[in-house]
Amino acid sequence: MDCDKILDLFQSELVVVNVGPKLFATALEKQGYRTVQVDWKPVAGGDREMQKILEVLGGLE
Amino acid sequence: MTIEQQVNAANDRVMEILTKGRPVWKDVRPALDVIPGMTETTVLVPGPPLPVERLTTPIRTAVCGAAVHEKLAKTKEEAWEMVLRGEITVAQAQDHQCGCAACMVVSASMPVIVAEDSVYGGKGYAPIHPGPNPKCLRWGFYDEDVERDLSWFRDHYGPALGHAVRAAGGIDLVTVLAKTAGMGDENHNRQPAASMYLALQVIPWMLDLEDPDRDEMIRHLAANDRFFLHPMMAGVESITATMKQVPLSTVVAGMAGNGVEFGIQLAGTGNRWYTTKAPVIKGTFLNPSYTEADLLGYLGDSCVTEVYGLGGMSAIAGPAYLRMTGSNIAEARSRTEKARAVSLGEHTFAPVPWDDFKGFPVGLDARKIIGYNILPISHGGSALKKGGQGGAGAAELPLECFKEALRGIYQEALVRTEQEG
Repeated sequence: MDCDKILDLFQSELVVVNVGPKLFATALEKQGYRTVQVDWKPVAGGDREMQKILEVLGGLE
Repeated sequence: MTIEQQVNAANDRVMEILTKGRPVWKDVRPALDVIPGMTETTVLVPGPPLPVERLTTPIRTAVCGAAVHEKLAKTKEEAWEMVLRGEITVAQAQDHQCGCAACMVVSASMPVIVAEDSVYGGKGYAPIHPGPNPKCLRWGFYDEDVERDLSWFRDHYGPALGHAVRAAGGIDLVTVLAKTAGMGDENHNRQPAASMYLALQVIPWMLDLEDPDRDEMIRHLAANDRFFLHPMMAGVESITATMKQVPLSTVVAGMAGNGVEFGIQLAGTGNRWYTTKAPVIKGTFLNPSYTEADLLGYLGDSCVTEVYGLGGMSAIAGPAYLRMTGSNIAEARSRTEKARAVSLGEHTFAPVPWDDFKGFPVGLDARKIIGYNILPISHGGSALKKGGQGGAGAAELPLECFKEALRGIYQEALVRTEQEG
């Protein structure tokens, strides 16, 4: 098995893509790592009833 | 067509009305003569419906004061008994294409601003702004002084403004907004530039009046830097009157508070209200002794200006209002950006120089508000529980009424689909 690519990854600079609470990214930044925050929230704040209605009414990109 | 396609088509039509409609201030007439459904015993109040027993103190005072003003009763107490017996009808102003700011109410003989959308033909109405005197019906006060002012508006000021506006051939409100772009008005709570420009259009025609109170009337108009709010509210109502004829649209076509509940209307379901607990306006107090406990929840129809993209929607256009209410320009920018994220269009006639000459967002889509979980902001003045203005600031529009509104449109869409087989 060729492990070179995995070893390269661990030897290269770590850049973390964080999806969810910014708190996790901030903790890594304090340890000197670079992070990229993905601006994502569940549709309708996770409200299942509204998600179902929006599936029919549409309007979201 | 799928339901989504039908909703999108309805919203396209509503956005055409919102962005291409042209509200023009045409006249000032007694409410009974022009407002649809108005009667001699009707009093129009701001906000969504509330059982009369739950009306707030300032609205109750204003309703009873209006009844005495109309000579329906001799005293406020007698008027209240008539309200409880149903002999005086309390109705929602916005259901009659009328906007009542703060605690203002409209009764039969009161002069109202008549606006007309010169493109789509809708009509809208609003009472005349009373000026800077804090003791007025608009803030829930009624006594001999207030009665004298109301009578003067009915007998002199209202007819004089009507004469001037007719003589001017109507005043295009979009032109006022365009001419005063970049002068710092957000046009809900701050409109000195628009009021001054409007006065420039009206005063030359008032000089023709033979009324002995002519100079006093001109002084009253020239000294009121909030005057433009009410013609603009009538103008917005002239636009929403047509928007509310488009079924299935999820665009906001009305909103207001009654001090207890806050409500919105969607174009697709006309005058149906979707309500929840009214938010409290946060910002600055007019008197340092006031606290939040002294304030009612959001009260008044003036947030129809937000329906048209003004106020909190175009907060970046009026950063001084943010400063005055304890906030800053970053927050002004944030309010407008939030509105952009959940709006379907833009008014391009009044670009904001310090916002890269962008226009201001218009056409709040309830789907986007719920879907993205972004709540737009309305500016507003806050009413004291005892009557009077407590402060000024802003409030996040409450999520629950938008959820209820989406349920309403969804049910409407299902019923129509079933009927069409």
